[in-house]
Amino acid sequence: MAALDEERLVLAEQIRQALAIENALTRPQARAYVRCLQKTWQVPTIGWGERDSANQLEDARRLLHAAHIFSTIEGGESLRAIDCYRRTGEILEWLSRAEDGVRAIVPIELLAAAAYQLGGLPAMASGLLDQIESEHEGVRLYSAFLRADFDRVVQRSAGFWRDNPGLTSADAENAIFAAMRGEDETPGFLWTMTIELVRSLGLIADSVRRGDDERLAPAMAKLRAMDDLAHRLFSHDAALVIGLMRQVADRYVAASIYIPLRQLAVLRPERTDRLLRYARDQFSRNRGILWTSQLHGVDRLLRESSFALCTPTGSGKTLVANLALIKELLLRAPGDRLGPLALYIVPSRALAGEVEAKLSSELRGDVIVTGLYGGADWGITDAWLTSEEPVVLIATVEKADALLRYLGKLLIARLSLLIIDEAHQIVPEASEATAVSFSDHSNRSLRLENLVSRILAQRPEVTRIALTAVAGGASGPVARWIEGRAEAQAVGVRYRSTRQVIGLLETAPGSSGQILLDLMNGKPLYLRGQENPVYLPLRFAPMPILPSRWRNSLNHFNSLSVLWTALHLAREDQRILISVAQEPEQTMRWFSEALALGAWDAIVEFERPEGFLGDRFDEARAACLDYCGADSFELFLLDRGIATSHGQMPQRLRRLMVEMIDRKVCPITVATATLTEGVNLPFDLIFLTSLKRRSWDPVKEEPIIAPFSTSEFRNLAGRAGRPGAARGIEGMTLVALPTRIATTASSTKPKAPGPVQQRQLREWAADYEDLTRRLLAEEQEVDAAESPLALLLTRIWRKANELLGVAPDAFMDWLERTVPGAVSGDAGTGANDPASRLADAMDELDSVLLTALAESERDDEAAITPARAEQQLRTLWARTFTAVAAVQEAWLEAAFIRRGSGIIQHIYPDAGERQRLYQYGFTPWVGRRFEAVAAQILALLAGAVDYGSLGAEGRIDLFETIGNLLEGDKGFGFRVRPTLGDQALLDQWNDVLGWWMNEPGAKAQDADSLRAWQRFVADNLEFRLGVAIGAVVAKAWSDGAPDAATTPTLADWKQTASLPWFGFWARELLRWGTHDPFVAFCLSQGLARTREAATARRPEFDAWLEENVDDPDGEDRIDPQLFQRWQASLPRRESPETPPELFNVNLTGTNGHRHRYAVIPIEDGDRTRWLDPAGFELAVSDGRKPEGWNPFRSDFELRTAARQAAVVRAFRPV
Amino acid sequence: MHDCPPPKQALEAWLKAYGTVRGGNYGHLLLEQQQEIDGDLIAALRPYFESAHLDAREYFHRKIGISLHPDGAAAPAIAYPNCLPSKALRGLFGEVMAGLVTEAYQEDFVGKHAWRVPIFLFREHGDVEKYLWALRFDPERVREIYGRHGTDFVGIALSGGGEVIRVIAGEAKWRKALTESAVAVLLHGKKVRNPDTNELEHNGKGIWFEMNRDTVIPHGLRQLQFLLEQRDREGHAATIVSIDRAVLQLGPQPARTDLVVICGNGAAKREKSETVVGWEEMPADYKAGRDLQIVEVILEDGDSLIDDLYALLWSDG
Repeated sequence: MAALDEERLVLAEQIRQALAIENALTRPQARAYVRCLQKTWQVPTIGWGERDSANQLEDARRLLHAAHIFSTIEGGESLRAIDCYRRTGEILEWLSRAEDGVRAIVPIELLAAAAYQLGGLPAMASGLLDQIESEHEGVRLYSAFLRADFDRVVQRSAGFWRDNPGLTSADAENAIFAAMRGEDETPGFLWTMTIELVRSLGLIADSVRRGDDERLAPAMAKLRAMDDLAHRLFSHDAALVIGLMRQVADRYVAASIYIPLRQLAVLRPERTDRLLRYARDQFSRNRGILWTSQLHGVDRLLRESSFALCTPTGSGKTLVANLALIKELLLRAPGDRLGPLALYIVPSRALAGEVEAKLSSELRGDVIVTGLYGGADWGITDAWLTSEEPVVLIATVEKADALLRYLGKLLIARLSLLIIDEAHQIVPEASEATAVSFSDHSNRSLRLENLVSRILAQRPEVTRIALTAVAGGASGPVARWIEGRAEAQAVGVRYRSTRQVIGLLETAPGSSGQILLDLMNGKPLYLRGQENPVYLPLRFAPMPILPSRWRNSLNHFNSLSVLWTALHLAREDQRILISVAQEPEQTMRWFSEALALGAWDAIVEFERPEGFLGDRFDEARAACLDYCGADSFELFLLDRGIATSHGQMPQRLRRLMVEMIDRKVCPITVATATLTEGVNLPFDLIFLTSLKRRSWDPVKEEPIIAPFSTSEFRNLAGRAGRPGAARGIEGMTLVALPTRIATTASSTKPKAPGPVQQRQLREWAADYEDLTRRLLAEEQEVDAAESPLALLLTRIWRKANELLGVAPDAFMDWLERTVPGAVSGDAGTGANDPASRLADAMDELDSVLLTALAESERDDEAAITPARAEQQLRTLWARTFTAVAAVQEAWLEAAFIRRGSGIIQHIYPDAGERQRLYQYGFTPWVGRRFEAVAAQILALLAGAVDYGSLGAEGRIDLFETIGNLLEGDKGFGFRVRPTLGDQALLDQWNDVLGWWMNEPGAKAQDADSLRAWQRFVADNLEFRLGVAIGAVVAKAWSDGAPDAATTPTLADWKQTASLPWFGFWARELLRWGTHDPFVAFCLSQGLARTREAATARRPEFDAWLEENVDDPDGEDRIDPQLFQRWQASLPRRESPETPPELFNVNLTGTNGHRHRYAVIPIEDGDRTRWLDPAGFELAVSDGRKPEGWNPFRSDFELRTAARQAAVVRAFRPV
Repeated sequence: MHDCPPPKQALEAWLKAYGTVRGGNYGHLLLEQQQEIDGDLIAALRPYFESAHLDAREYFHRKIGISLHPDGAAAPAIAYPNCLPSKALRGLFGEVMAGLVTEAYQEDFVGKHAWRVPIFLFREHGDVEKYLWALRFDPERVREIYGRHGTDFVGIALSGGGEVIRVIAGEAKWRKALTESAVAVLLHGKKVRNPDTNELEHNGKGIWFEMNRDTVIPHGLRQLQFLLEQRDREGHAATIVSIDRAVLQLGPQPARTDLVVICGNGAAKREKSETVVGWEEMPADYKAGRDLQIVEVILEDGDSLIDDLYALLWSDG
């Protein structure tokens, strides 16, 4: 038999090779896909005949057969079977979406969905079935089952029992058989087959989601028996559908989240119920069946602790992280006083919000989840700091780093799990921009590396999990870094959970655009030079002729073409992101101007939604009005259903804008790339208007042109067509590219619009070619990556050699002894000349080293010796990403250690200074310069005892006084781009401050300059001023704290820091844009929607204060503890105490001897019939009915004891 | 597995055979009842019919034996195929007869191939979709939800090494009275009114239509393989691999013979040795271009035979 098995495998492999190589389509398949897209877009299709369809169907059948052979011989997990199933799913999906005639002959949607499930692509199964609504109840039921929508299966089977009440008795089948013998025309035994299929599917769905294995077993046995019989009695296709449903059911059973949770429960059996509840909750969120990638991750999680999970976006990494949190926080043996803590590092504040919302909703009640949005490093609600409950702290790298400096000992002691989301961001791009970012102290990769390496060096035993995307060869190095083993491999599967198509939107004046499709899942859709390109011509009217002033800018024309296209597509219910490379304010202005024209406004279909969504829209609109003003582009666009987002937008408004996108209120979004960093949003289509960013190098006096990196592009493209979120199955990312120039000016002078646009056309086309070439090249996975410290050290060496003539053999000595100030007198001042940049790069390296050394000294409470320093740095180096990312030259580690040694012996020899510099958080050379200013800031903070009594003007003056200390210093102070506009803004920064802090009568800026003002706020007020004040406050508190393990609390904060409350609030105020701490408090606690509304509540608090505090002074007016007491005194919205839902029942179809029965409710007039999920009536109740709009999402249980019987609701979804 | 040889002696006594093969690719076999049906005949047929039904019977009973009631109610006390209504039994009878004549009259069939039916498939196509896809018993439903069923019957001829070298597939029909019009409906489809001429005309969806559009490798072959894999993977390894080749369309493909078996009582006006389908020439509406074998089984009081025979199957426990 083995030989014959071998022969069968050879045959199946021939089919796989011919038809099912991953991401490589045969020509007929590519044509089938193109035809499908053309049909979906309702444009003329390529030539296609019945024979083509028949051939595709035949190929699908052959692939299914090959999959059968593979899985029979190699087992259910056969990767080759999976390839065949996936391609089967694709072929049938394309036929289905093309509305092919075979749909009337073969149930291809069901076959496609089943094939996708068995191919490990559940999102594709749902995506396809989302678009198909059959008129046939059976097809609907099977569709629900094949998309793992168990609630819907239960609902549909309940509908069947409601329509067929005669079938709900225990002997229903007997009755049918008896009737069948008598009369020929009654529904006979084939009817019983169908009834039993409904029974099985209903019972499987309900048992799977409840985790009821006892009831699941007969249901699965029945389905298997039905499958076996179907092959004997049913036509091939009907039997095939049942057979595939059975296989899919087997997969559901094997991939149920109950399995790992039961295994985890062994760690702490007393928490079993909680874990099972969690599992049930996951089912109610349609996440109860684990995806292949999740199964791999969970498997590792069960066997060991630390690992890197590497899967494409949208394949459910978060769930693995959540299970890790459960394992490490809830299932470890309880320790001493403080609960365990997990640090969840995310790349952006926006993502922190998303993760916090998800985790809070899933882990509520067991774990404190905090995201720390405000400016303070530990937040107004300090409960988590000292809690006995486990804590998940979600923070950006910057925030985590600040916390580590401030509360390091406490955090490290409690830390039991470190999760690094989007860990591939550790890999820097080897470019000039990266090199400059080291000198600017703005390189994120280095910060992430530094933070994690320090944590690992201090707590080598901490469990850590890295979640990472696939591209760029980062997975191997990240796995080695995270696990600390040279042979570590990332867990994960390399596949795309949704389909991604990349192409062009071709625009041209006077004509409708067309879409050119190039790549599908990373592979070309047609052979260049050999085949016709694949076009989707758009059918709507061409964009109206633009005024010549607009046409004279090709970029302007191109952007408006995109808007015109997006507005039309939005009418077809597509969700569109227009991704802008830079200067979003310019695009927003162009869009606003165009939409002010009648022809454009007429195609906007947006209306404010009703109900809950309308309320959410109003809140977003109010915040937009509050922060941007009545004349802003943001508000104008929002009113037309266009959301906007960019990195400088105030945090609160950004979150609300994201909500508008996420809840699908706004069909169109205009945003920069910061919107999509790791955040999942539902877009069908993404348009890009440019593939590069331009800036000005004031030193070389030339433009710096930075093309999009492939990783940035991939991240963006990965947001299109998210599983379950979008209407279409594929996400499209289209680069807008004009095919003709837009101007009609006739001048031929080189700088005239015509020649300029001709050049731009060529350049942009080349940019796109270059991008696709790089994307294709990157499909080859490599196992080495660039690393931050290696780039930094190499940069320092090269520049030292180049600028200062340091010879190779002299470099180590030079490095050990040279202070940044010796390289450039302007070191630490943000100067742009090459020597200063070298000095600043050295300062960046010093920051990494000094931080590590100072932390060691803090913990040891003693100055470090050179020998110990070397040992520490060796340990640290071994923990860096750089050490494992690629084979590195030995000199890198030696240089790292020599510089570290130099720091304690020559550069910063005073241990006390090292501690101070560490506390400030600046790079040390900058910190040293900051020290003089710090004393002045401290004095100002300490003197602000009457801040609470001051008027707005006085308060803002105080900020201005502090800001004046920073204004002139680009090292630690304000920094703007070297443009005339930005320079002018710096000169009038106090106006910006007044506007931002909501000073009454402050000059409002116009729409055009809004973003420049917002940028100044974000970069300089929120960030630089905030950081400076934060550094001083943190140090003041630390100086007053008895030891490094002290926990800050509101109760003793003032005393410890020796500062008035202003010190506590200053950063928070800069974050929220208000001078009144009460306003910041209200906004952070959700007590008001806008600053205006929060201000309006001030009298409420003041009245409460007068009543509760004798003779309140200024400090009382801003005391956060009093704010909290006031908040606690507010009347709570009464949540009505709902008694447990209980229905007294009469048993009608059971003797009750099992005591507990899963049941589902069927309304029947005034009664409710309670049926077993297999459709047998067990009991009936009168009167009250289950509450809620869909009782089939809940679990009900019939409980019988002695003579009593009642139904209770055992689970209700959140 | 079906391994009971056909009761040739009893058949010879019961049925008079008129076999012809024309043009090398068209076989016609008329089997005309020449002896009254009696207990001996039924007893002789019984082992073959039990063998043919055994596989489906086992799986039917296995399925029916699993109770989904939470209290584990008793399984319905019924036996397959005996429990089926008489109309269904007639369909099954036709299908077993197709196997029986294919195995018993190989010498008379076109090509004289050594046909075997290792397992019988009994596919109740028409009704399946009524219930399965719509979840409704709707006797009024006319339009099909999914419109292709494939063939009723599949048999195979094996090489010395056990590989499938030829497939026989087709339709087996029982009709109470094989009148000219009943046979025309079988072959050419039901009559519907032509909206242009207002005349009743065959809709063209009869046996010839299904046969002409069927693939060379019938879907039933794939199902047959599944059953072989399930029941005797080792014993049929070579057959299984050869079906893989056929289904995957790799390597030399088995040829196909089309089979039409029409069973029923002769029409009242029928003359002796008269056929319902012409034997001299290949029917004009058959256009598949393969070997075609027609078998007419003309009985007298076939209904009683069916009822008595099926009452007898497994009657002694």
